[in-house]
Amino acid sequence: ALESVPDLERAMYRVIQGSPCVRLLSMQGESGCANPGRDKIVAPLQRLTKLEFKTKGAVAVLLPYSLFHSRNKFLSVCSRTLHDPSFAAQVAGALVEFADNANRSVNSNPDSKFPLAEFAPYSNKTYQWNPLGTDVLQKRYNFPVYLLSPESTRGLREIAAENEARNAKYPLQVAEFDVVMQTTKSGTHTSESCLKEGSCLPLGGYSILSSFSSITSKPTLLVLAAMDSISFFRDFTPGADSPLSGLISLLAAVDALSKADGIHNATKQVVFLVCNGEAWGYLGSRRFLFELEYGGGSAFGFNMSHIDQILEIGSVGQAVEKTFYGHVQDKHASASTKEIVASLKRSAESVNAQITTASSENPGIPPSSMMSFVQKSDSLTGVLLEEFDTSFKNKFYHSLFDNADNLNPESIVAASSIVARAIYQLAMGDSSAKLDSVAVNSSLVKDLISCLLTPDPGMNCPLVTGFITPAQPVSNHYVGVVTGAPSPTPSDDLLDDTTRFIWNFLADRTRRLDAGECSKDCKGQDQVCVGATGQGRGSCVVSTTRYVPAYSTRLRYKSGNWELLPVGSGDFMDSIDPVWTESFWKSLTLRVYQQERPSLNGMLLLAGCSVTVASAVSILATRALFRKRLKSA
Amino acid sequence: MTVASGVGYTLIALGPGFSLFFLSIVSKPLLILTLLASTLVWLASLVALAIVWRGFLPLGSSDWICLPLLASSVALQEFLRVHFWRTFKKVESSLNGVAVRISKPPLRPSEKIEIAIALGFGHGLAHSIMFCLSLLTPAFGPGTFYLRSCPQMPFFLVISLISLGFLLIHTFSMVIFFKGYEDHNSGLRFFVPAMHAVASSLTLVNLVQNGCVIGTPLVMLCAALTLFVCGKSLWQKGD
Repeated sequence: ALESVPDLERAMYRVIQGSPCVRLLSMQGESGCANPGRDKIVAPLQRLTKLEFKTKGAVAVLLPYSLFHSRNKFLSVCSRTLHDPSFAAQVAGALVEFADNANRSVNSNPDSKFPLAEFAPYSNKTYQWNPLGTDVLQKRYNFPVYLLSPESTRGLREIAAENEARNAKYPLQVAEFDVVMQTTKSGTHTSESCLKEGSCLPLGGYSILSSFSSITSKPTLLVLAAMDSISFFRDFTPGADSPLSGLISLLAAVDALSKADGIHNATKQVVFLVCNGEAWGYLGSRRFLFELEYGGGSAFGFNMSHIDQILEIGSVGQAVEKTFYGHVQDKHASASTKEIVASLKRSAESVNAQITTASSENPGIPPSSMMSFVQKSDSLTGVLLEEFDTSFKNKFYHSLFDNADNLNPESIVAASSIVARAIYQLAMGDSSAKLDSVAVNSSLVKDLISCLLTPDPGMNCPLVTGFITPAQPVSNHYVGVVTGAPSPTPSDDLLDDTTRFIWNFLADRTRRLDAGECSKDCKGQDQVCVGATGQGRGSCVVSTTRYVPAYSTRLRYKSGNWELLPVGSGDFMDSIDPVWTESFWKSLTLRVYQQERPSLNGMLLLAGCSVTVASAVSILATRALFRKRLKSA
Repeated sequence: MTVASGVGYTLIALGPGFSLFFLSIVSKPLLILTLLASTLVWLASLVALAIVWRGFLPLGSSDWICLPLLASSVALQEFLRVHFWRTFKKVESSLNGVAVRISKPPLRPSEKIEIAIALGFGHGLAHSIMFCLSLLTPAFGPGTFYLRSCPQMPFFLVISLISLGFLLIHTFSMVIFFKGYEDHNSGLRFFVPAMHAVASSLTLVNLVQNGCVIGTPLVMLCAALTLFVCGKSLWQKGD
């Protein structure tokens, strides 16, 4: 029942909850989705169950995910609008119904068949690492697209049914999209122009670096994992297997190692690096190498020449029968890579798993942060641990469906154990080290999965809330834009929940000493405050854990603006860097309301004017009549 | 439904009011004051009713609650109308007294009718303000609204038409009522509260499914009848 005018307005204009696809820009041009111009898009709502329109003219299509994206180029709206202009002209906007696992389109994902091929340190750029990819992800769509929540899906289906019952006659329910991008309004259609104009921000965030002991110039084993993914819809980027399974393995391995004897006094220095922004051109790993090489204000305590070995954990959530593959770039493996492989194999044996070196038919390493290191210097190489050999096992790579159900926790536990034990051997410099003391906690792995990859409990799980108060109930794994000035000590409001959680977790597990309570900062040397914003008070600990800015090495932040630097002569990766940016926008809203036939509005105005004029005429006439009447009395 | 239709609805509801104001009232300061005072008093009466009924919220989902609501509103307003007549007589005599002292003519019959119209217009305006104007604000946006019980007419159109009807009924009822007292014609005096009650009850027809198609035109019919009765009663004076 409506009890007030605001109630009436809420009943008239229903705001729909959903995740939009937004406009992204690169050096080459635009990708993603947006309103084509400066105005809102309004179109009648029509539900499609196959790619046939029931009326002429542009409509706002409501469709199941399988019709939006699938392997069949002709039966998916994504591909069809890219290749068929007359079809695209009829799509004013797209509303994609919430897709639960039951109706996920099988065997396809939207990324390209060789993601980030241009960065590969080998010449075969057409090798299909991702054969199930349909390559619609980084294309430009000239209409707004929203992914709906389950409630909105139900609501919109009912509304679309109303329109159908009316046979598309007015008054119709229309969808109004406001996905107007600043870059469209200012006419800047590449990263270069929009950064100059200030109508966009570069993608990027913060990586986290941590170590069990203070970092000095010693031979170092660098252990890497990535923490960000991509999706069609920026606010719905799960990335469970790729790459969060690797991140979870790393976190669980650090946890296992924290309880192992002598880890704080290891012979070889172990530095963990969780890289952010990798999905957008290896931003985190490249920026780390840049800062390592040029110092630049963030003293790591070591330099590139000290990196002796690199171990990267890739996608490890779907291994078949605990079989993992070690990918190495140089076919003639150096002594240090051979040592890594040997430790991995020994560790695998100890947990009844298997490590196989990847096929020599592969052109090289699959898309990974390792590519940044290999491209940087021939001496930087190592082993990449993956669940697959010659092509991705993850059907839902960079897809909405790469969620917790796409993971096998046992696979992650196995990978984590292998990595932890291998690190232990390499760190202690003892191939016969007792591996039983290094035990991965499998319930920690399950907790990390449920915190980072499920909506319930999501980020309100005890593991997370013990360290931070999350800003969002569900963590999202899109790196986002760089907010504010990049700095090695960013303030909490510039960091997303996942980044803050990882920092706190690593600082806690790698701590060497406890030093009292804190609420924000700690005074002692090398002391950081862990859990400052979580439930309960924070603790000061001695730990080597810090943030490393992650953004394109072609950019420099100077007095509030982002400058695009010219390509350095030596750096190949800089020359091919797309320098991804995201447009600014004023608001992103989707609402649905009923609209009258346009001519009716004019008719009502005319009716009102007529009533007014007619009444004026009547008043004058009546007055004249009565005056005459009364005078004659 | 866009600014055009918003303005259209407002003109349907208040257009005759604008015309009346600018053609008859705006040129005479006494009438402007009368209109203002009358609007305020009638608004106060509606607000007082609202305050009392507020105590009974929430009203529940039964439609029958509308009957006591309407009955009490009509009763209070008709009771107030008698006091309008009494106050008018007092004002008339004091104005006439002043006129005698400064050797000017007393109130002419046409002037008394104009005052009655202004008083009635105040009543109609108060009704429009309370029951129509704020409801029309969403009509200026891009969307429209239909009640489930009335898919034939936009909600805002029903509101505007009913408001127009009552504007006319209230404005001219006051003239009829005063005439009834002046001429000692109890029929006219009885007509006014009866018409008010009947027209109010007819709005209840809108509650029925598809009732708005019957109810709204009937209210307009009541307005036409009021106009006719008013015109006839004034015409007869000429004989």
